[in-house]
Amino acid sequence: MIELTNVSYSYTDIPALNNISLNISKGESVTLMGPNGSGKSTLLKLVNGIITPDSGSYRFGGEEITKKKLHDNRFSKLFHQKIGFVFQNSQTQLFCPEVYDEIAFGPRQMGFIESEVEKRVKDCLNLLNIEALKNRQPYHLSEGEKRKVAIACVLSLNPEVLVLDEPLNGLDPRTQRWLVEFLINFNKGGKTLITSTHNLEFLQEISDRGILFDEDHCIAADMEMDKILEDIDLLKRVNLVDEYYHKHVGSKHSHFHLHNY
Amino acid sequence: MTEKDIPEWLLKNENYVPQLDRDTFVNKSITSLLSVLSHIRRQSGHKTDLFGINAAFSVIFTILFVVLLSVSRGLVFVITANVYLLFMLCFLKSEDIVVILKTSFGVAIFTFIILLPTALYGNFYSIAMITPKVFASVTAVNILSRSTRWNSITGALKTFFIPDIFILVLDITIMYITMLGEFSLDMLYALRLRSVGKNKSKHTSLAGIAGTMFIKSKEMAEDTYAAMECRGFTGEYRIYRKFKFSFADALYIIANVLIILCFIYFGRYLRK
Repeated sequence: MIELTNVSYSYTDIPALNNISLNISKGESVTLMGPNGSGKSTLLKLVNGIITPDSGSYRFGGEEITKKKLHDNRFSKLFHQKIGFVFQNSQTQLFCPEVYDEIAFGPRQMGFIESEVEKRVKDCLNLLNIEALKNRQPYHLSEGEKRKVAIACVLSLNPEVLVLDEPLNGLDPRTQRWLVEFLINFNKGGKTLITSTHNLEFLQEISDRGILFDEDHCIAADMEMDKILEDIDLLKRVNLVDEYYHKHVGSKHSHFHLHNY
Repeated sequence: MTEKDIPEWLLKNENYVPQLDRDTFVNKSITSLLSVLSHIRRQSGHKTDLFGINAAFSVIFTILFVVLLSVSRGLVFVITANVYLLFMLCFLKSEDIVVILKTSFGVAIFTFIILLPTALYGNFYSIAMITPKVFASVTAVNILSRSTRWNSITGALKTFFIPDIFILVLDITIMYITMLGEFSLDMLYALRLRSVGKNKSKHTSLAGIAGTMFIKSKEMAEDTYAAMECRGFTGEYRIYRKFKFSFADALYIIANVLIILCFIYFGRYLRK
C-alpha cells in the first residue's frame, strides 16, 4: 500500500531522511522508532503528502505521489481522505469553535447530508468516549482530551491509513492505556496503522513490526517488534535505551521497566 | 473498548469522489510562511557571520554606508559604492546572491518607474542618481541581513547604547516569530489535510486558526513572563557580549574607510 524507494529529504542543508526504502502493506501496524531528530516525523509528513522527496519515489496504493499530483485539487483531496494524520501537537489540528463542529468538519466537506454527519460525529464521540466534550471549545481542553478530539476528527473521514506522530506523548498513564487499546482494536478492524515513538513501553502491544531509525537518518533495522526489543545492543546503539534498561527472564510475566534509582 | 464497538461505516472503505474546491489562499499562506521560516532557520544555521566580521562593525558601516549614499551628490561615488557592493556579493552563497539581486533590482525598477515622470520634465539627474542609490542601499542592507545572524545584529545594537531590555525584547520577538510561525504552519497543514472536499465557509476555518494563534501567543507570553519571574527577573536585564577584533575586521574597516575617502574625494572633485 505504501512504498518508499531510496527516499531522501533535507531541510535547507540539514539532512532529515537518508536513502529510505520500505513497504507497508494494507492492514499492517507499523511503528517507527528512533531517537529525537532521527527523521521519524519527517517520514510521517512525507507519507501524508505535506512534503515530497528530494530524491527517490513514494507510491501510495500503486500511484506515485509527486508535488505536481498534490497540486491537483481533486487528487490531493482524495489522497488526504485516504490517509489521516494525527499531529504530535494535537492543538494545531483544532480550529473550529466547538468539538462537534471540529468532528463534523470533514464529513460536511465530503458532502454528507446533515443526519449522516450527525451519525458519524455521534459514533466518533462514543468511540472515543468524549460525548461530554461535544459542546466544549477545543482550546480549553486538556492535552489528553485534545488528542482524543484530534483522533475523532481524523476518524470521521474514515481513512484507510491512520498515521499518529508520538501519540502517547504528554498523556497520563490511564489515557495512554486507553489509546493503546483503541489502536489495537482499530488495527484489528482492518485499518493500516503507522505510529512513531521513542517510548518503548507499549510497542509490542501496538505493532507487530518495528522500523528503527538511527542518528544518521537511515533505517537501522526493519523487523518483527519482538526481535527489535530483544536486541539491546542495537537499541543502545541508536540511543533508545541506556544500560539500566533490561528484561526480567524466567518469571511468569516478563516486561521491560525503568529504574528510578 | 473492543473491536465490536467500532461503527460499521468505519470498517468499510469510503467510496468517495471529491468535489473541486479552491485552496489558493491556504497554499499561498503555507508557501509564504515557509519562506520566512526557512530564511530565519538558514540564518540561525550560520556557524559564524560573514568572514567572521564582528557584527558591530557590519551594522555601523552598513548604516554609515546608507547615510553616505543618501547625502552623496556625486555619481562617481554612487557607482563606486555599487561596484564595492557587487564585489562583496560575490562572497555569498549563490542562492543568497539570487535573492538579494532579485530584491534590489525589483526595488530599483519600481523607483525608476516612479521617477519616470520627472524625466518628461527634463530632470534626468534624479533618475540617474536615485535609482542606483536605492539599488545600493537595498543591497547593502540585504547583505547584512543575509550574512549576519539575528542575535549578532541585536547584540551589536549594544554598541549604539540601546538599552539591554530593548535588545532582550527584540531577541524574544524574533524567537516567538519563529515559534508562532511554526505553530501556524502546522495549523495550515492540518487545515489542508482535513480539507478533503468543498469547504463552504473557508473564512470560518481561517478565523478559527487566527483565534487559536491569538490564544496560543497570549499563553506563551504569560508562560514566558512567569518563567522569567521564577528565574529572578525583576525588570532589569544585562547583556554580556565579548568584544572580538580579528584580521577580517581590520580588512573590513580598511575597505570601508576607503569608501568614506571616496565619498569625500569625489564630493570635493565635483565641487571644483
